[in-house]
Amino acid sequence: MNSRTSPEWLMTTVTALRELMIKRLETELDAESKRDLEMALEELDVMWEELQGQAALLVRENERYAAFFEFAPDAYLITDTGGSIREANQAALELLKAARNDVVGKPLAECVADEDRVAFLARMVGLMPGVNVRPLGWRARLRPTAGEPVAADFSVRAIPLKKSGVGGICWLIRPVN
Amino acid sequence: MELADLQGMWFKLQAQVERLAEERRQYLDFFEQSPEAYLVTDGLGRISEVNGAAVDILQRRKHLLRGKPLGVLVVVEERAEFRHRLKAIVDGSTERSWLATIAAPEGRVEVTLTARLMGAGGICWRLQAME
Repeated sequence: MNSRTSPEWLMTTVTALRELMIKRLETELDAESKRDLEMALEELDVMWEELQGQAALLVRENERYAAFFEFAPDAYLITDTGGSIREANQAALELLKAARNDVVGKPLAECVADEDRVAFLARMVGLMPGVNVRPLGWRARLRPTAGEPVAADFSVRAIPLKKSGVGGICWLIRPVN
Repeated sequence: MELADLQGMWFKLQAQVERLAEERRQYLDFFEQSPEAYLVTDGLGRISEVNGAAVDILQRRKHLLRGKPLGVLVVVEERAEFRHRLKAIVDGSTERSWLATIAAPEGRVEVTLTARLMGAGGICWRLQAME
């Protein structure tokens, strides 16, 4: 995607055109202004279609990456900096033996075995709020909804949250063999 | 098209593009910046996506990896096994992790290959170099 046809470029250009047209409409239109306005509208139509094309491209690209997140061979959770789970992939749900609805919105610390929770929370405090999370890892026991706790290595790194773009935390959870 | 309608639609499209761009940033960040080496292939093993960590292990340029069958990056003597395992994965085998040797330009690299089937028939792979 080159910079001239990027959505940002299109948005800036079309916004400028729209403002120009609005300004023109506020005044009495002579023949020349009317022609200018018609030409600008035509141009706007072309850009509009192009922007829609760019949006469609972004949708397809995002679907590809979303599929990668969902089916990555490793268990991933994305939380906000408060530790509340925002997203979970298939491998994470399998590891937790839980349905997505049971996990999303829940504090990640609740998925940690009782004995390890205090230490886990203490480590989490160092990651927030809004701190630049650097990759690091530690071991704790995970508490699936059924069965015995599972020892796992937790690795974290910073990631922007999808809906807001604000800082979130990406957790890679790998069971210890 | 009336200007007022256009303005309303414009704001909607603008919001949509901004949301999509945010999503893209997250996924790109997730995939590209991952310290884990991942790549995505189709069911025949042809590479469609490869992240930076995987590029480091495979020691080839990203654009040269796209479209290349993953199997040809495995040393010759292990290719038959790779094909056999790939077919088994596509057929739904739960045996999805094994040791393999990558023929990298700077020498052989021992890796653990771990695969997982994706929804639309693709396969996501993790390459873990042996220490």
